[in-house]
Order: sequence, then C-alpha cells, then structure tokens
Amino acid sequence: MAYSDKVVDHYNNPRNVGTLDKSAQEVGTGLVGAPECGDVMRLQIRVNPETQVIEEAKFKTFGCGSAIASSSLATEWIQGRTVEDALAIKNTDIVKELSLPPVKIHCSVLAEDAIRAAIGDWKKKNGVAETAPAAATSAH
Amino acid sequence: MLKTLESAVPVACWSCSVAHNDSTLFCPHCSKIQPPTGGDYFSAFGMKPHLNIDTDALEREFHRLSRRLHPDRFARASENEKEWSLADTALLNDAYRTLKDPLRRTEYLLKLNGAEIGEEHAGKDRKDTSRAPADLLEEVFELNMQLEEMRMARKMGEDDPALHQSLTEAKKKFDGLLEEVDQNLRAQWNTWDAGDEAARQGAQKTMVALLDRRRYLSNLLRDVNETLGA
Repeated sequence: MAYSDKVVDHYNNPRNVGTLDKSAQEVGTGLVGAPECGDVMRLQIRVNPETQVIEEAKFKTFGCGSAIASSSLATEWIQGRTVEDALAIKNTDIVKELSLPPVKIHCSVLAEDAIRAAIGDWKKKNGVAETAPAAATSAH
Repeated sequence: MLKTLESAVPVACWSCSVAHNDSTLFCPHCSKIQPPTGGDYFSAFGMKPHLNIDTDALEREFHRLSRRLHPDRFARASENEKEWSLADTALLNDAYRTLKDPLRRTEYLLKLNGAEIGEEHAGKDRKDTSRAPADLLEEVFELNMQLEEMRMARKMGEDDPALHQSLTEAKKKFDGLLEEVDQNLRAQWNTWDAGDEAARQGAQKTMVALLDRRRYLSNLLRDVNETLGA
C-alpha cells in the first residue's frame, strides 16, 4: 500500500510539531491513543480568550505515517479557527484530504478525537460550558 | 473461516459407515483415517473447548496422533487416505501450535465464540475509543518521548546514563503491568470454563479488552527492549 503524496509530504515536513505550556490557562491539551497500533497523539491549542480563536496549535505523534499526517493536517486546519469552528472538523474531511485507505481511517479518527480532547481540556480549564452537544457526540 | 462453537455433527465413516463425531481424525470403530472435515481445534484432540487445559495431555496426544498420521503408515494406502493423512497432519500442527500457547488459545476460543480481536476491528470506522488504555496514555507518551531521545542520543554516538536508567525503570513498570494483565486473563479463564452463557459473555468482553491492553503493552515493551538493547 502506497501512501498518498499528501501523507508523504506531511510525514516528511510535519507542520507544527512541538509543545505548548500545558499549565498555561489559555492552553488546552488533548492526549489520545489507539491500542491496536500503539499510536499516541498529543495535540495542544492556545486559544485567544477574547475571540476564542485558536492562535497556535502544536502536536507530537508517535505512530505511523498516516497518524502523523492526520495530526499535522489537523493542526494546520484548526489554526485561525474559532473553537466552535474547529469542532466542526470531521475525520472524514481528513480522510478525503489525505486519501487515506480504509485500514488507516482510525488514524483520522484519532486526530479528530485529539482536537476534541484539546478543546474539551481548554473549556474545562476556562469554565466554558460544553456547547453544541450534537456536534460533540455525532458519530464518525 | 472459523467454525462456530457448536456441537459436532455426526458423519458416517467412509470405510465402515459407522457414524462418528466429524472432527475425529480416525474412525473410533474401524480406526481408518478420516478426511479433515474441520471441526474446531479442541475436538481434533478430543478436548472440551476450555481455556484451562492439560497441556501435558495435549502434548502426549499430539505426539500420539502425529505418529498415527506419519506418511510411512500410509505408504500402501489409497490415494485418498494419503492425501487425508497430509491434510490431517497440517490441521494437527496448526491446532497444537494454537492450543499450547495460552494467548493464542484464548484468542482462538474467543474468536470461535464470535469475538472480534485485534487487527480485525482496528480498521473499522468506530467511535469506541474507550478501548484505549486511558489510564496509561500519559506514561505511554512520556515513554515514547524518552525512547525518541534515547535513539537520537545513540545516533549522535552519546549515551545518557540517566535516560537509560529511567527507561529501565519504565520497562520494569510495564513488565509488571503485562504480568497483571496475564493474571487477570487467567482469572477470566475460570469464569469462562465454569460459567453459563451469560457468565461467558461477560468474561469474553473482559478478555477482549485485556487482550487489547496486552497487545498495546507488549508492542511498547518491544520498542523499549529494542532501544535498550541497541
């Protein structure tokens, strides 16, 4: 199975690899894992408290090329979006963009989960109520 | 394709026509070899589908049946019988390898009972992230960071004794967790073997989760061992 050009590109030049200060008030951290393949993904966001815009996103992923590409793409997409807009990103969008084969769909699910986890952590820290439950619980 | 866990259907022996259990390798009446009609691995050895098995008895039975299936014994037999002896031998070898290993035996029996294990459900589009060992994520992530650091240091030709030390400690901890999973699995074996259908379903669910956790831990430990041993 060959990786698509976009996966290879993200894998070779991952965007936004790094760490944000976990303890900072405006930083949300999402840590997710897939037991089948052993992938672990950490995605962090720094949110502007005034505008709720994600000004910075960083990730670190241990896993296959698709998992790295999915999280790299996720950080690229959520930067500049508001928190609510970022929650609208679906794993299927990632699948489409990266042309992931069926066996790698769980990598995109992981990336979506990581976005949700990071935003959830930020909301909890900042006392923001979980809005739009329909979006948060919708099936992948 | 795996058979389901149903009682074997009696079939007639091709030679003496006496009905016997379909997974018997030899007719109990006339002792003629039977074609592998594919019962489950347990019944090939005349065993109940249990997780606690007598592995000594399994080994003895394997050697006894292997001898009976030896090609020399079929030198003057019909072409059919020759062919069956080879097919039965292949089946017997697969069955023995699967049943003697506690983990493979557990996975095999759970799959027979309809469970989806490991890679089979990995690719599915699903929401079930509860399978991830959430309690371990932090430690797993930390460990991966250290492994990466260690590999980088090695590449540069450096050795970081402190890092080596902390990886060795992590290895010990994860070895212990693996041991814990194995103990929990064995406890579930008893529930499975003794239980009714409802108890089995519960035990099965628990064991599938334990096997997931085990796979995760052993993959991680493999990486740690590789990095430490490199």
